[in-house]
Amino acid sequence: MAKKKGFFLTRWLKRGVMGSDQEVKDIMQEEQVQTPFRTMLRNFLSKTTVRVGLVGFFLVFLFVLIGPRYWVLDLSEQDSTLINLPPSQNMMSVPSEMKGKIADIAAGRTYGVGLDTDGKLHTWGYTRITEKINVADIPKEVQEADIVMFAAGDDHVVALDKNGQLYVWGNTRLQQGNFTSDMKKKMKDPDESWDIIQLEASNQFSAAVSSDGTLYLWGNSNLADIKLRSQYQGQVAKVALTSNEYICLLKDGTVAYTGFKDKGSAFAAIPEALKATKVVDIASTSSTMAAVTEDGRVVVWGNDKNGEKSVPEFSAPVKKLYGGRFHYTALLENGDVVCWGSNKYGQCDVPAAVAHGAKIREIYTGNFQNYAVMEDGSVQTWGLKGFILGTDNLGRDLLTRIVNGGRVTMTVGAISVIIATFIGVVLGGLAGYFGGKTDLLIMRIAEVVGGLPFIPFAMILSAVIGSRLDPTQKMYLVMVVLGVLSWTGTCRLIRAQILAQREMEYVTAAKAMGIKEGVIVFRHILPNVLSLLLVSMTLDFATCMLTESGLSYLGFGIPLPTPTWGNLLKGANNSVVIQQYWWQWVFPASIFGVCTICINMIGDGLRDAVDPKSAER
Amino acid sequence: MGKYILKRCGYIVVVFLILSFLMYSLYNLIPTDPARQELEPQRKGLKADEYQMLYQQLRKEMGLDDPLVVRYLRWMGLWQDTDGTFNGVLEGNFGYSNLYKRNVVEVIQAPMGNTIFINIFSTIASLSITIPLGIYCAVHKGKRFDSATQVVTMLGYSIPVYIIALIFMYIFCVLWRVFPIMGQKTAGMEYANSWEEFVDMLYHIALPVIVMTFGSLGGMTRYVRSSMIDALSMDYIRTARAKGLKEKVVIYSHAWRNALLPVITSILGWFLGIFGGSVIIENTFSLNGMGKLYWQGLNNMDFELVLAIQMFYSIVSLVGSLLIDISYGLVDPRVRVDK
Repeated sequence: MAKKKGFFLTRWLKRGVMGSDQEVKDIMQEEQVQTPFRTMLRNFLSKTTVRVGLVGFFLVFLFVLIGPRYWVLDLSEQDSTLINLPPSQNMMSVPSEMKGKIADIAAGRTYGVGLDTDGKLHTWGYTRITEKINVADIPKEVQEADIVMFAAGDDHVVALDKNGQLYVWGNTRLQQGNFTSDMKKKMKDPDESWDIIQLEASNQFSAAVSSDGTLYLWGNSNLADIKLRSQYQGQVAKVALTSNEYICLLKDGTVAYTGFKDKGSAFAAIPEALKATKVVDIASTSSTMAAVTEDGRVVVWGNDKNGEKSVPEFSAPVKKLYGGRFHYTALLENGDVVCWGSNKYGQCDVPAAVAHGAKIREIYTGNFQNYAVMEDGSVQTWGLKGFILGTDNLGRDLLTRIVNGGRVTMTVGAISVIIATFIGVVLGGLAGYFGGKTDLLIMRIAEVVGGLPFIPFAMILSAVIGSRLDPTQKMYLVMVVLGVLSWTGTCRLIRAQILAQREMEYVTAAKAMGIKEGVIVFRHILPNVLSLLLVSMTLDFATCMLTESGLSYLGFGIPLPTPTWGNLLKGANNSVVIQQYWWQWVFPASIFGVCTICINMIGDGLRDAVDPKSAER
Repeated sequence: MGKYILKRCGYIVVVFLILSFLMYSLYNLIPTDPARQELEPQRKGLKADEYQMLYQQLRKEMGLDDPLVVRYLRWMGLWQDTDGTFNGVLEGNFGYSNLYKRNVVEVIQAPMGNTIFINIFSTIASLSITIPLGIYCAVHKGKRFDSATQVVTMLGYSIPVYIIALIFMYIFCVLWRVFPIMGQKTAGMEYANSWEEFVDMLYHIALPVIVMTFGSLGGMTRYVRSSMIDALSMDYIRTARAKGLKEKVVIYSHAWRNALLPVITSILGWFLGIFGGSVIIENTFSLNGMGKLYWQGLNNMDFELVLAIQMFYSIVSLVGSLLIDISYGLVDPRVRVDK
C-alpha cells in the first residue's frame, strides 16, 4: 500500500472538495459527475434563507470580531453624568436659528443652553433630567425676561436678568432653587447693589460672584461644601466649581480654598508654585483645580485621574482657561487652543479650524463638550456628540458593550460546542462501534444527562464550583459546564450514524485488511458522518449561545462587568427600563436575535443540503 | 406491558439514587461547618478547650465526621441518625431553610404548586397549538401558510425566551396595558372568596403562560411537521389513498399515528426545556415559583433548600421520562410485545 501523503484532515478536505484522486478521462463524464460535496454546496447556496443567514451572520461576526478594536472595552468604566442616555448625536448641535447670532452659551451635563442676540434662550442636546423634569421647558417668566447671564449645571440652569432677578429651572427638588436670605433681599430691593459678574452652576449647587467681591452660594448643602469662611467674603474675584467643592480667586491675585472642609479636601493644599506669583484665572474639572499665573503658566492640583496634571508645553502664555469634566481647554495669547486631560470622547481633539491662531471670540466648555464661537459668529464644536446606541445605568456606552459582549458570547458558544462535540463524538463513536455493554452504559449516561432540566443544573454547577473563581475562570467554567451538559445530542447522532455505517462494505474491507477497530471508527467511518456533524454543530452553536445568555441573564453565567449579550439584558427585566430606557434592551436583544436566527437558518439549510431526505420536507 | 413499566420504574429508582448522590456530594464540596455555626453564639462565654470539646461533641452528634456515603444515606433517610432514628428525605424531612427560617418542606409547598400549574398549563396550551399546526403545515407543505409558519417558528426557537418576555411585556403591559407587568396577585387586594383569588391569579399568570407557550411553539411545530411529512411519504399512505379512504382518515388515522412515535420521544426534552425555561420566566415576571425560589436559594447560599428543589427537578425529569416511556408503549405495539 502506498504511503499516503499529508495530514489526514487535509486529505479529507481535499477528497471532499476535489473528489477522489482518479483522473477524469472523459469530458462528458466530468460534467455529469459531481462530488457529493459540490452537490451539497450547490443545494446549500441555492436557498434564499441560507444566503440571508450567511450574509447576516458574517456581518454580525465581522462586527463582533473587528469592533472591539475600535470600541475598546474598559471594565471599570462608569460615569454618573452619562447614565441612561438615549441614542443621540445632538449634544452639541447648536440650533440653526442661533447660528451667526450667538450671544452666550452654557454647556451643561448632556445639554447646552444658548442665548441669541435677540435675547431668546435655546436649549439642545439631551435635556431630560427625569421623566417629568426637562431643562428644555424654560419657564415663561424666563422667556419674557431679558436674560444677561446664565449657567448650566448638572441638572439645573441658573439665569440672571437685567433687573438682577435670578431664575432656576430644571431639577429644583434638591434645593437647587433655594436662594439664601441675602440673595432674596438683594433681588427684591432695587436699591441694593447686586452687580453679578459671574454665575456658575454645578452638581446640585450654584454660585454667583458680585462686583463688590461677595460670593453667593446656594443649593444642596448635603452634597456640596457650599459655605464660605467669613474672612474671605468681599474679596472674591472669581469662583470655580468642581462637582462638590469650589475654590476662589481673590481680588489680590491669590487662590484660596475658602470652604470648611480644609484638611479633608485635596484642593486645600494650594501648590507652593502659586504662592510666589499672581494668579489671573482659575478653572476646574470634576476633581482637579487649575490656575493660570501672571506669566501664563498653568498649575494643576487635586486628584488627577485622567491626566489633567500632565500640562503640555504651550507655544505662548495662556490667556484663559476652561475646565470640562475631565479635561482642560486653554486659549493662548497667540490664539491657539490647547486641550489636555481625558480624551475618551474626543474632548481634546481640537478641530484644525480652531487650533491655530483662529479668531476666537469665546470658548465655552462643559462636561465633555467644547464650543468655540468665532469672531464671525460661527461656532465650532468638539467633544462628546452623544452615543449612537445610548448608555446604560452606569453611564457606559452601549455600543462598546454590545460589540465586546458579542465577542464573549460567541467565544463561549464556540468553545462549548467544541467541547460538547468532542465528548459526543468520542462517546458516540465508542457506543456505536462496540455496541453491547459499552453502548448500554454510554447510552444510559447520555439518557440521564440529556434528561436533566438544563438551566437549573447549569446554574447549580456554576454556583457551586464557581463560588471560588475569579471572573475569567468563571467564563471558562461556563464553557465547560455548557459543553459537559450538551453533548448528548451529538452522541446519539454519531452512534446512530455509526450503527448504519458499520454494515457498509468499506468497513468490512477495512476489517479484512486488519486495521485496528479504533482506527476504523475514527478515521474511516467518521469522515463519512462529518457533514452531519457539521449540521449539529451549527445548530448547537446557536443553542449554546442561547443557554449562555440565559444563564448570564439569571446571573449564573459570565459575571458583570464583563459584558455578554445575556447579562446586558440582565438589568432589563424592570418596568422602568422596559418603559423608559427602551434602547437598553432593544439593541442587545435585536442583535442577539438576528445572530441566532441567522445561525439557525444556516444550520437548517445545511441539514437540507446534507440530507436530501430532509430537503423534501 | 406491566413488566416493562416495572422495569422502567426500577431503572428510575436507580438513576434517582445516583443523581441524588452526585448532587449531595456536589454540595459537600462547599466548605461549610454547621457545628461551628451552631456554637458561634455561645463562643464568647466558653474557654478555648471547653469550646473545642463542645465543638467535637457536636460534630459527632451531627455526624459530620462520618464518611460521605453514610451522611448521604442519613440525608436520604436510609441510615440511622446518631440518635438511632431514621429522619431523611424519604421520611419527608428535606432539612431547614436558612433563608426563610422554616422547614424546606413548608417553604416549597406553595411555589411547587404554582410552578406545576404554570408548566402543565403552558404545556397543554402549546401542545394543543403545535400539533394541529404541525399537521396542517405538513399536509399543506410548500404553501404560503406553511412557509410563513416556518419563518415564525424559526424566530420562536431562535430568540431567547426572556427577550420574547421583554417584547411581550412591552406590548401588553406598557403599550396596551392589558396585563400586570409583574407579580402574582394584586398588591393589597382582599379577596371575597377563593374563586376571586383564583381569577386574580389567572389574570397575573396569563402573560407568563402566553410567553412560555409562544417560546416553546417553534421547536415542537417543526418536529411535528417533519415527522408528519415523513409519515405521509410512506407507501402505506399511498395504499390507503388508493383504497379510496377519506383524506381525513388517511391523515389522522394512518399518518398521524405513525408520526406520533418520534414526536413522543422529543416531547420529553421539550417538556424539560419548558421546566428549565420557567426558571427564567418566573424570575422575569417575579412569580412565586420553584424557579424563583431556586434562584433565591442559590444567590443566598441556602443549600438545603436548593438541594430539595434540585431533587424536585430530578424527579420531574425522571417521572417525565417514565410517562414518555409508558405512552410510547401505548402507541407502539412493538414495545408492548418485545420487552
